[in-house]
Amino acid sequence: MDKDNFSDGGADPVARALADLAAGVIAVDPGGAIVLANPCAAGFFSPVDPVGLRLRTLFSLAGVADPESLAEAVEADGARIRLLDGRVLEARSRPASCGGQAITLIDVTRYVHETQRASRDPLTGLANRLEMSERIEALLSVHRRDPGSAALLVLDLDRFKAVNDTLGHPVGDALLVKVTERLRSAVRQGDVLARLGGDEFAVLLPERPQPAAVEALAARLVDLIGRSYVVAGHMANIGVSIGIALIPEDGEEAEKLLRHADLALYRAKSGGRGRYRFFSAGMNEAMEARRTLELDLRRAVALKQFEMVYQPQFDLEHNTLVGFEALLRWNHPVRGLVSPGEFVPLAEEIGLITSIGEWTLRTACREAAGWPREVSIAVNVSAMQFRSDASLLATVRSVLDATGLKPSRLELEITEGVLLNDTDRTLEILHALKALGVRISMDDFGTGYSSLSYLRRFPFDKIKIDQSFVSGSEDAHAVAIVRAVAALGASLGMRTTAEGIETHQQLARMRAEGCSEVQGYLTGRPMSAAAAAGILLEPAGPDDSPALHLASQKEFAA
Amino acid sequence: MNDVLHRLVYYSRNRIAGPPEQIDVIIAHILEVSRRNNERVGVTGALMFNDGCFAQVLEGPTVAVEQTFERIQQDPNHGDVLLLACEPVTARAFDNWSMAYVGRSTAGAARYGGIAGSTGFDPVTLTANDLFEILHTLTLEEEEAPARQSA
Ligand SMILES: Cc1cc2nc3c(=O)[nH]c(=O)nc-3n(C[C@H](O)[C@H](O)[C@H](O)COP(=O)(O)O)c2cc1C
Repeated sequence: MDKDNFSDGGADPVARALADLAAGVIAVDPGGAIVLANPCAAGFFSPVDPVGLRLRTLFSLAGVADPESLAEAVEADGARIRLLDGRVLEARSRPASCGGQAITLIDVTRYVHETQRASRDPLTGLANRLEMSERIEALLSVHRRDPGSAALLVLDLDRFKAVNDTLGHPVGDALLVKVTERLRSAVRQGDVLARLGGDEFAVLLPERPQPAAVEALAARLVDLIGRSYVVAGHMANIGVSIGIALIPEDGEEAEKLLRHADLALYRAKSGGRGRYRFFSAGMNEAMEARRTLELDLRRAVALKQFEMVYQPQFDLEHNTLVGFEALLRWNHPVRGLVSPGEFVPLAEEIGLITSIGEWTLRTACREAAGWPREVSIAVNVSAMQFRSDASLLATVRSVLDATGLKPSRLELEITEGVLLNDTDRTLEILHALKALGVRISMDDFGTGYSSLSYLRRFPFDKIKIDQSFVSGSEDAHAVAIVRAVAALGASLGMRTTAEGIETHQQLARMRAEGCSEVQGYLTGRPMSAAAAAGILLEPAGPDDSPALHLASQKEFAA
Repeated sequence: MNDVLHRLVYYSRNRIAGPPEQIDVIIAHILEVSRRNNERVGVTGALMFNDGCFAQVLEGPTVAVEQTFERIQQDPNHGDVLLLACEPVTARAFDNWSMAYVGRSTAGAARYGGIAGSTGFDPVTLTANDLFEILHTLTLEEEEAPARQSA
């Protein structure tokens, strides 16, 4: 045991332990000279031998930055020492009992790197989300002592995913780095930039200028980041949308501020991208409302708060009831009746539409199968069901099997939205459904693109003319459209149903224009399955149809 | 400079406000900076200012072109930058010009309108190739102009 500095250690167990210690130990005499360094400590500064040197000299010889003040800090209490090779030592000093000081040195390189990595985004070198929210918190706590104002911008790139997908990840990453440079060039010293994740960034302006200046910065960023890029020889075009929250008015916690800026961002995006929006309390309420609706809707599925009602459809040629359209009702204990227009888009967005759609189909088929007459039953299928329910065809087949409903009685109503996406696959499914014997109708015709090519692409059994043309039947244009669609249907061998008939006059007009069927409050409101069964028990026939009794004989004589 | 060469063509809208003399001063400054910077990184090309629009060709090693363009993109002196082309080329067309400026010898005509008149310069309808050809031709003409004078 005659290691250089431990010649006096001998077999002393304390000295031996010191020699084997994984931490560095240095003893400094009252005069400031190092009198002892264990092997670990000596190893940190190798090849410089610490013994006999003053701390500052040791640091200086070892190439440590700013050796003087570092030595002072270490002697006073402790400090971090960054060695030339990148290792970081945590130094702690304690007064020694015999005068002078005992200093311990622990290698904390791993720890330091880890925490650095955890607060920095490795690609862009910007703060990450965690770091950003800590910076916001820190600012807010300063404001608690010394009130001030600041602004938080949350940015999300538009079309970045497309670039990433077409040009590949490395180009996408290089693009993010360029975006970062542009951000850096636009903000001031002291502003905090962060990459929150993916293609989302944030800027914290701790010294908030006037709102007009925040707006000017947002406008500048929309312009600057939206300018084309050249990355690895490729041209790339992206844009940015920005949501802004003001501090303190829009929140006094980092979490809330980020959420509010996010909400404003969401609005900016839905307003057409490449825009910025300031947060407003109304956004919160709208989002709250949406969130509770979502919760209620999820609950509704579990609690079976849905029910089906059935609206009669009449054939104008024979004046007979030929079927019902199944309509979904959501009866919420507090909200009351919620219209499908209100919850279906949300159900589509949150992916509930598949299960709701399947429930609808199953219930309608089961109830209709029990009716006393074999009338048709029309069920709506949303575009989202076509897209998300890979097994729509299998679902229909299993429902028909399970309920025993004749396929020819089932009529699926689709809107043209179904045909907008992935048309080949959609057409394939439609043809397969038709092959099962199920009929397909085009719903709400006239409201969307109403492209005639849709009618040519698929042999629909029926076209349903949107009720806006029926209620507008005082208007010559609406009438002309009804006439044209009825004629078109006739020439293509498709039946036409006019929806939303409310007056005798409208009924007469639809008949005159050549529609084959009608549906509406005049000829029958939506009713329960039992009521529908009841109507079907009454004798059929032109003048016996209960609902058509509503229409005067005069109108029906024609 | 054994790097792959890239050529980039864009046009943009002027955002320098002020009377023409002031615009001239700023453009002169841009050119001075451009020539200094471009020479250092091996970028050559031409710049045209006309009717409130800039058109520029940059050529050189891919990375140098990319970095130069990125700097230009961030310049608030112009906006609505429309990148018309960025493609590898086998040789330079503006070998002798770190940044040629088109407009000098035609300045006698109705200021910048002169070029528009003689070339039908309307960047919006021009393709990258048209723009490149125009800049190239005009640069050669301007190159000859002072040469003829001194001859
Ligand atoms: C239309 C236009 C063309 C420009 N062309 C160049 C150029 O070719 N090279 C260049 O270095 N800077 C060019 N600039 C200037 C840059 O935008 C930027 O101001 C300059 O590169 C900054 O250089 P510095 O950091 O050396 O001052 C151009 C600016 C404008 C508005």
